[in-house]
Formats: sequence, structure tokens, C-alpha cells
Amino acid sequence: MATAKRIEIREMDKHYGAFHAVKSLSLTVEPGEFLVLLGPSGCGKSTALRMIAGLEEITGGQVLLGDRDVTHVLPKYRDIAMVFQSYALYPHKTVAENIGFPLKIAGKTKAEQDAAVADAAAQVQLGELLGRYPRELSGGQRQRVALARAIIRRPAAFLMDEPLSNLDAKLRGFMRAELKRMQKDLGVTTIYVTHDQIEAMTLAHRVAIMRDGVLQQLGTPKEVYRDPANMFVAGFMGSPPMNFVAGNATGAGVKVGDRALSLEGVRVREGTHVSVGFRPEDAELAAPDDTADLVAEVFIAEMTGDETLVTLTAPDGGHIIVRAPPDIEIEDGARVGLRIDPAKRYYFETDSGKRLRADD
Amino acid sequence: MSLFTPRRVGHMSPGGSAITYLLLIVWAAFVIFPIYWLVITSFKSVNDVNSGPVFLPFIDFQPSLHAWRDLLIEDWADTSRSYINSIIIALASTALSVLIGSMAAYALARVTYAPRLSTVLAFVLCMAAVLVATMAYGVDWRLAGAVAVALFVLMVRGLGNRIAGRLGNGDILFWMISQRILAPVVVVVPIYMMFQSVGLLDTHIAIILTYAVINLPIVVWLMYDFFASIPRDLEESAQLDGATMFTVFREVVLPLSKPGLAATTLLVMILAWNEYLLALFLSTADAQTMPILVAAMNAGERGILWWTMSAVIVVMILPVLALAVVLQRFISKGILVGAVKG
Ligand SMILES: Nc1ncnc2c1ncn2[C@@H]1O[C@H](COP(=O)(O)OP(=O)(O)OP(=O)(O)O)[C@@H](O)[C@H]1O
Ligand SMILES: [Mg+2]
Repeated sequence: MATAKRIEIREMDKHYGAFHAVKSLSLTVEPGEFLVLLGPSGCGKSTALRMIAGLEEITGGQVLLGDRDVTHVLPKYRDIAMVFQSYALYPHKTVAENIGFPLKIAGKTKAEQDAAVADAAAQVQLGELLGRYPRELSGGQRQRVALARAIIRRPAAFLMDEPLSNLDAKLRGFMRAELKRMQKDLGVTTIYVTHDQIEAMTLAHRVAIMRDGVLQQLGTPKEVYRDPANMFVAGFMGSPPMNFVAGNATGAGVKVGDRALSLEGVRVREGTHVSVGFRPEDAELAAPDDTADLVAEVFIAEMTGDETLVTLTAPDGGHIIVRAPPDIEIEDGARVGLRIDPAKRYYFETDSGKRLRADD
Repeated sequence: MSLFTPRRVGHMSPGGSAITYLLLIVWAAFVIFPIYWLVITSFKSVNDVNSGPVFLPFIDFQPSLHAWRDLLIEDWADTSRSYINSIIIALASTALSVLIGSMAAYALARVTYAPRLSTVLAFVLCMAAVLVATMAYGVDWRLAGAVAVALFVLMVRGLGNRIAGRLGNGDILFWMISQRILAPVVVVVPIYMMFQSVGLLDTHIAIILTYAVINLPIVVWLMYDFFASIPRDLEESAQLDGATMFTVFREVVLPLSKPGLAATTLLVMILAWNEYLLALFLSTADAQTMPILVAAMNAGERGILWWTMSAVIVVMILPVLALAVVLQRFISKGILVGAVKG
């Protein structure tokens, strides 16, 4: 049994031939922390995780586990447990044998194994299924076997690669809560990979957002949501994500269609392409008169239960989604005005995606 | 519902199932008849064989044990020696080729090799040079070898930068399989001369080694596909759980490749069991195998001994049938179901 260890990654690089999959990734995961690595498909999350596990050779940089440099240490000697994107259950072993495998390898007695297996299985509610084979389990049950196999030996760290991606929405929500609780109880340093920003927001102590192999931002869920570092992060977090309207900077503000949005203290050169971002909950529908910040056309309104999501076609042709009360009456194709909370606007350089701040 | 709407077996219309079963019965009869014919022929008297076809024992003809008496009593020494030879040779050569071949296949499936084209070329050139020097010019092989090694090192350094290409696992695999494309008859004379020069003609070792080598490409080919189909995640997961390479192989790879090993073993053993041409060259009396014995049945002064030949063939196919029955329970599909999602 190891105590939770810090994981430190220094300028980690991965090249597949000419393809640069992970680009100089640096981050530190504190002991007992739950870090979520978030990004779209193909951005290098799994690759980064596999390098930390030692399954993929590191082309450049270092990985430290606790105080130990494990950059070139074989996986077997890293004391890391991993839940694979594919679960990787041994098809010829029963559930009990699968869960007990790490202990069998460690040379524990049969009695010790059985006790620990029963314990781990109970934690993920698999008690009755111990005698089955993986092929006789549902996706959710397989996922729990993989989890039990990871927790049975208290490793220095957990690595999880999209373990919930194969479950239905309800089970995913349930397992998410279970996972969070389990990680807290065990206090094991965890890196969790996902492309689902809701998982990231709910599970993480801190979120690391990646794009094309590059770390975009590292911060608490609140920080990355409230204070995104760039347009990519802003557009990735939230469901629905942030809206953007593109315009040109003028002396007075950002000209979008026939309106001008104030720049709220942000200084940019005149003529710069600027995108104004705002979250669906930070704008409200109003009359399409002169006081509105924008005028747009209703594309469709969707009632989700406790609210209505109104999709609008913006002057620049893009879509804008606004949260409205559930009982709102609105016609498709109607012209509406939009009032955007000035304190909750974000400004980005359209071409580079760079965030423009008032104090810059 | 028409007769020809496809339905599940067991839910077919009466006409459809009648036709299906009729076709299956015809096919089964077609497959089984030669074996039946073989068995009854071994019990026919010389007259019954020569005087036209008879089909049903006790009705058409009176069974006789004369062929079996010849085979098992009078020629017992010859029969049993060939039989034992065949068993030893088939078992040993199969074990050897499956062992070595599956190790090679596993390595090819899991390790990425990228030998430089220049290194391979240099090696082939040096080998050829040694052969020409020793065979054609009578240079001492030790001298030729030493020069070749030196030359090889020089060439690797010199050519390395000029020829950029590298070979991959696919090339290595293809090279191995290509060795089998060549008909064995092409190499039978060199092989004969080689064993003659080391004095191993008509020994088990010579035939075992030869069979192991000619079957190796088949083993590598079949097992490569099999190992490659085992998800890598399983092995990686076991590694992270603390298993050594050897433990991974024993706990994960071996159990999962049982079906492949069983099928490959069966195939290779049948090939070794039935092989004729190489055995004809490499054995005369002591190491004679069953196929040679069968062939000898039509070389006697009494003409072809159909009855005895049939008896020998029956004896010869029995172990293969037994083996197929034993191994067939391993040759089941779906062993990997449940390993990975989706
Ligand atoms: N063995 C390889 N050879 C070449 N390129 C690879 C290899 N493995 C991965 N890549 C590439 O590296 C990039 C990152 O892959 P990775 O599996 O890390 O993505 P990911 O972020 O985990 O995506 P997903 O969410 O779809 O699992 C991809 O563009 C992929 O095509
Ligand atoms: Mg992935």
C-alpha cells in the first residue's frame, strides 16, 4: 500500500514519426488530487496518459512520481493502476479472477485475495457477479470490474481513460458520483481523461484542457468556466457552450451587424477582428428596438423542462443559444433583441483566439 | 411464405427443411464415402476386389481379415517401425516448429522492427561472397567468414547513409512466408546433400529438422494473425498490474491463443504426418514413415495390394482423427468476447 504521490510532468513530448501528438506538456498533480485531462477526440489525451503509465515511450521531457524520475522506468515498476478506454478485462478469467489479478501477481495468498476481491467488488456493487465471465456482463458491469481491479491494490496513482464513455446517461451520472466518492475516500492521486466537459466539471479538483497536443489552460472547474484563457476553452466548457459573435473593433466598441457592443475597457487596435463571447445564461431576450445589444432571428426554441433553449441566427450568420424561461412564447423566424450582461462579456481576437482583457 | 424465404434453422417451412437436409445428407455421403470405401476394402478378399465393385459387408461380400493379418502379423516389424517413426517425427517436428514459430510470430506481432535496408543488403552480399569464395575458389571457410564479418561492418557503416530505406515487420513476415511459396522439391537435392555430408541420412533428426523448417513459415503466418488479434490493452493492463513479460505471456497471451495454437498444431502435424517427397529422399529403411510404406504397397511384384494399402491408410488416419477430436474443443471462436468494449 502506497501513500498518494505527486505526479509531475515536465515538458513531455510525443512524436509519432513526423506527427507531434503531445507538445511540451507540463503539469503537476498534487497528492490526492483529482485532475481531469479534457479535450476533443484526437487531441493527445490518451497518448499523454499512456506516457505517464509508461506504456508509450516518451520522446522528450520527464515524468516524476513522488520524488522519483520514472521517465524510462518500465510500467510494472511505477505502482500505477490504470482503467483503459477499452476496459481491458481478461476474457478467460472470471470477474473475481480479473479483480484479484494484481494481488495474484503480487504473490498474495488465496485467502487474502478473496477477502480483498470481496471488498473491492462490494465497493462497486458487483458482489453477485463474481463467478461470471466478462462476456456475460453488460458494458456498465464490465466498467465496474475494471474499476474494482484498479482499486484493489492501493496504487500510488490512478489513471483512467474515458472509463464512463460507454455507459448510458443515467448510469454515467450514477458512476460519476460513485467515482468521485471513491477517489475521495481512497485519497489516491488520479488523472482522468475525458472529452465530456460535464464529467470534467463535476469530477475534477482541477481541469487541464488540451487541444492538438497543447495544454490550453489548467485550473479549477470554476476558473476555466468563469475565466477561460482563450476562445477554444470558452467554447469547449459549458453545455450549451459560450456564444460568439464576430465583429470589427471601432473606436467606440465592436461593430456587429448594425449594432456596436461596448468594449468594457478592453483596448484593441481599430479594425481588429474581435469576437464577443457570452454564456447562454448571461443574455436575455428583449424587444428588437434601439436599446437591444443585438438583433437576431429565432431559429428554433427547445423546451427542456425547466427552461427553454432559444437558438437564434446572429447577424454574422452564426448561431446563438440563450436560456429563457420555460413558459416563453416565441415564434420561429421572429425578430428579437438580445441584451447581454456587460459584466459577463468576453472578448477574443477572432483570428488567434487570444483572450482580450481590460487590463492588457 | 415462400419456400425460399430464408429462415433460421429449426424454423423453416417443411419443404425448405426437407431440401436443406437432403442437400446436407448428399454432401455428408460424398465426404464420408471414400473413408467407408477404404474401410470395407481393407476387409475384402483379393477376389472381391478384383471381380468388380461390392458395397455391403455380409450382404455383398464376406469380410476377410487377410489384409489385416498381413499388416499386423506378417509385416508387423515393418509396419510398427514406420508407424513409430511417423509418430516420433510428426510430434517432434510439430513441437519444434510450433514452439519456434509462435515465438517469432509473437515478437513480430508485438515488437516493431525497423532494420535498415542497407544492413540487410550488406548481410546478403557478404553471405553470398563467403559461399562463392569457399565453394568456387576453395578458400578456407574460417578465413572467408572472418573477412566477411569485417566487410559487413565496413559496409554497414558505409552504406548506412546512402540507402535510406528501412524494412518493417510486414516485410519480415512476408519474407518468412515467401520461403514456403517455393516448392520443397526445389531444395530437396541440396537438403539431401547436406544431410549426406554430415552423415545424418535416414535418421529421425534429419527428417524432424527438415519438417520443422518447412512448416515454420506456416506457423509464423497463422500465429502472427492470432497474436495480432489479441488486444494489446490486455497485455499492457497486466504489465501495469505488476506482471513481468513472462507472467503476461503465461497468464494472458497463452490462454487466449489456445485456439490458434490448437489449430496450427493440428494443421502442421497433418502436414508432417502426410509428407511424402522429402521423406522419400531422406529415409531409406530405418527412418521410413507411413506415407512411404503406403507407396511401397503398389511397388511389389504382385501388383497393387489394394486391400493391404487400405488397411495401412485406415491405420494412418486414425491418429489424425483422434487428434482432431481432442483439439477441436480448443478451436472455438469467440474466446476474446468481452475483453474490450464496443
Ligand atoms: N501509434 C500511433 N501512430 C501515429 N499516430 C498516432 C498513434 N497513436 C495515436 N496517434 C495520433 O495521436 C493523436 C492523439 O491520439 P490520442 O489517442 O492520444 O487521442 P485522444 O485525445 O485520446 O482521443 P480520443 O478522445 O478519441 O480517445 C491522434 O491524432 C492520433 O491519430
Ligand atoms: Mg483516447
